Amino acid sequence: LSSVPLQVLFYVNGIYYIFYFVATLAMIVYKSQVFSYPDDFLAPDLALLFIMAVLEALRLYLGSKGNLTEEEAPLGLSLVMTVGSVILSVYFLVWQTYVLKADVIINAVLLFTYGLESVLKVTAIAAFVS
Amino acid sequence: VAKLCVCDLLVAQCDVNCCCDPDCSAADFSLFTTCSVPLVTGDSRLCSQKAATYSLDVEANPPERIFKLIDQINPSVFCIHATNYKQALSFGSPEMPTAENFDQLLERFGGATFSAEPDSWNMDTDAQNPSDANETYRYEYGVPIQTADAFLRLPSPVVSSWCSDVNPAGFLVNRATKCTRSVSVGQCGNTQALSMLSYINSSILAKRHEFVFQVNITVQSIVVQSLNGMRTLPNGSDVPRLPMILDELCINVVLGVSYHITYTDAGEIIEAAASFVLGAINEEALSIQQSFEISFTQVNTNPVPLSGNPGYVVGLPVRAGFRPQGYPFPLQAGFAALNANKYGQLTILQSTSHQDCLAAQGARTPVLFGYNMASGCKLRITAAMKCQPLTQTLLDLLKGQNFPEYVASFGNSQAQDVLDWVPITHLYTSDQSDNDRIHNALQSSCQIPVSLEIEVKWTKYGSLVNPQARIVNVTATITTTALKQLRSGRERTIPVMSSVVFTDISSPAEPGYKAWPTINVKLPFDFFFPFV
Repeated sequence: LSSVPLQVLFYVNGIYYIFYFVATLAMIVYKSQVFSYPDDFLAPDLALLFIMAVLEALRLYLGSKGNLTEEEAPLGLSLVMTVGSVILSVYFLVWQTYVLKADVIINAVLLFTYGLESVLKVTAIAAFVS
Repeated sequence: VAKLCVCDLLVAQCDVNCCCDPDCSAADFSLFTTCSVPLVTGDSRLCSQKAATYSLDVEANPPERIFKLIDQINPSVFCIHATNYKQALSFGSPEMPTAENFDQLLERFGGATFSAEPDSWNMDTDAQNPSDANETYRYEYGVPIQTADAFLRLPSPVVSSWCSDVNPAGFLVNRATKCTRSVSVGQCGNTQALSMLSYINSSILAKRHEFVFQVNITVQSIVVQSLNGMRTLPNGSDVPRLPMILDELCINVVLGVSYHITYTDAGEIIEAAASFVLGAINEEALSIQQSFEISFTQVNTNPVPLSGNPGYVVGLPVRAGFRPQGYPFPLQAGFAALNANKYGQLTILQSTSHQDCLAAQGARTPVLFGYNMASGCKLRITAAMKCQPLTQTLLDLLKGQNFPEYVASFGNSQAQDVLDWVPITHLYTSDQSDNDRIHNALQSSCQIPVSLEIEVKWTKYGSLVNPQARIVNVTATITTTALKQLRSGRERTIPVMSSVVFTDISSPAEPGYKAWPTINVKLPFDFFFPFV
């Protein structure tokens, strides 16, 4: 049977991620105006944010599909992509050019969500395999 | 942060009311009333930072300074938690110039403006520089002429009439200047500006920035001017004469220099010559006037002054010339440069004060474009004069020696361009009516020319806003009159006239307009259907 908590978590993650993307983009714009933010530092931050958005959309789609069709392959792929998302989230938490307190808060929430998702995915895969 | 103190201005002395000043002792603190700087922090946008607070405890006796190091928290959610960009929060210290980076710093900051962005955006300026290398070796119009040490100087008045020696001479810029220089007889031999050596001792570089080929300035001529203004050409004109004191006068003082530079069409200088006017000054003189001139001639050409470029300029002489024998030639031959007068100008008879034609042989004045001129003289005819020699004399008088055959249609027509020259048409008329002529022809009397009228028809050529004058047609009309035989012993005086008239035959310019756009409205075919 598909895991209902996992599906709920996917749904919440999707909505939260939209908020996260808009907030991070707005804060980068704010930082570039208020602080000295040269182009050499601005470009990687923006690029990684967009890559993260694409990755996130793909990951949620695969995970949702795998969960609903009870197949472990897409779910496993989604789990692997979660690792990439975690790395990107850690980048925005620690290695960004300017880390504001708001950045810390939303990235922490995102990481917590990823952790919870990963646990539920592993459980679901185990359930589907057996 | 504990060591920073903004109000510590006096070194090794205690500043008043400055609680963070390390030079103040406890006794000084007791005399303060407040702390001018209560808080010293770093960037206030950081989330948490150390701050040093200074305050005065006025309750205690004597008052004490309280120094505390606290953590200041920024409550905003947008405070900077961390940065990975180390220049973010402090002002960058500028690079100290050293021998290695001086050129690069000069290039970045040496101009009137510079941008805050790094140099990586100026890539395209490097690409243009190599192609200019060839161009900078030739002189161009207006470029200062370089000598071995600096520039060829043409002293000229700047702001006031005193000579300024730092004015460089520009290539192909013909200039003549006059300026005043202060002198004293006592400094006769010492003043550089009065000695002719200072004007010829620098050698001119043949090409810009190339020190290999240098052209020495040769002395072309020296003219000596005496105190009352009379000029003579002394013997041994090429020997440089230095100023020296003779009989309380300072002689051989430079009063005028005239440079003549010969150049090639590749922009190189191949010859330079200077002509001097030397004079004498006496001991009361406080200043003299010096005049300087420079002119440029292209090599292998005869300098012909242009009368306009390209259209004739009103007031400049009309240029004229001859066609060499055996025309048509190949294009190199062109026209002879030596023609109507020495400068290639059309000339007419010049009136003189005594008005006697025969006594005024040879005085001619050039015809200036746009100026209608008339001149004349009176001819006394005696019975002894024969017809044919008289006719010839009058013709010579009216036309002058070497009356030209062609007139340049533009002010800058070159001798090589044969199509730019307009032939002079000659007309011969008589001032008698036909009947009289037939009557006189039966008597075979003498016709002598008494008037020459040159009519120059010109038109406006070129653009509407800057029309150039171009000569289209030149007609020389000689009017003859019959010379009646005189009884011996009697004399007659007849006037001889010559005139030049310039007629503008340009048709008025009609501006052309594009057709105005029309509204092409036609009612449909069956608009009035029921009725038509």
